[in-house]
Amino acid sequence: MSDTKQLATDASDRDPEVGLRAVRSLRGLIERLEELQVDNARQQNWSWQEIAGCLGVSRQAVHKKYAGSRNPLRRGK
Amino acid sequence: MFERFSDGARQAVAYAQENARRLGHGYIGTEHLLLGLLDQPQALAGRLLAEHGLAKADAERTVLALAGDGEEELDAEALTSIGIDLTAVRDRVEATFGAGALDRSARRRGRRADKPVTGHIPFTRRAKKSLELALRAAERLHHPYIGDGHLLLGLLDEGGGLAFRVIDGADIDVTRLRAELDAQIPKDVPA
Repeated sequence: MSDTKQLATDASDRDPEVGLRAVRSLRGLIERLEELQVDNARQQNWSWQEIAGCLGVSRQAVHKKYAGSRNPLRRGK
Repeated sequence: MFERFSDGARQAVAYAQENARRLGHGYIGTEHLLLGLLDQPQALAGRLLAEHGLAKADAERTVLALAGDGEEELDAEALTSIGIDLTAVRDRVEATFGAGALDRSARRRGRRADKPVTGHIPFTRRAKKSLELALRAAERLHHPYIGDGHLLLGLLDEGGGLAFRVIDGADIDVTRLRAELDAQIPKDVPA
C-alpha cells in the first residue's frame, strides 16, 4: 500500500464505508471457508448432524444450504 | 489462419478450451489462452512467463477472482483495516487444501455442474482479436508460422482483456517480456 493510501486509511477509520466494506469482505471470506470446511468434513464422511454441531447450527440449516439436489456435496444421509 | 499454427500453438488453444470448460465458462477468453500457455511450461511462452514469476495457480486464482462466476472478489484492503491479512489466511488455507482452494468452492463447482459445458466453446471477440494480433506479430517478425510465442505477443498487444490484466497485475515487465519474445521466438517451426 502506498503512503498516501495508508494515510487515507488511517484518517478514515471511523468512516462507515471502510468498516462496512470490511464486514462485507469478512462475510465473503467466511462463506468460502465454510464451504471448504463442510466439503472437507463430507469427504471424511462426517454426517450433516456432526457438521451442524460443530458449526453451532441446526442439521436442517446445513443440509438445506449444502445438500441441494444437484450439489456434489450431497451423498445421502 | 489455424493451418499456420505450430503444434505448440494448437496445444495452447486446446488447453485454453479445456481450461474454459473446467472452470465452467461457456466461452474461451484471452484469460483461457493465457492459462493454456501456462499449461506448457516447457514451451517458450510458458517458460518466459514462469521466469517472470507467473505461475499457473496464481494466474488462475486471479482469473477466478476477476471473472469467476459472478462471485465477488474479497477486498484485501478492507480486511486489513480490521487486522485480517488475507494473504496469510490464503496461504494457510492453500497449505492445507491446495492451490486456489480459497477461490474455488464445492458450491461453485456444483453450480457449474448445473450447466455443463459440452461441445465446441466459442472464442470471445477479444480472444479472436488476440489471435489476429498473433498472426500480425508473426508477419512483423517474418516468421512463416504462428507459435506459442506469437500467441503471447498477441495477448500482450491486445492489451485490454483479462489475460493482460493478469500479467499486469503480476507486475511483469511487459516491455522486457516483449523484447525477449522478439529475440527468442524461433525463425521457423523446430524440426
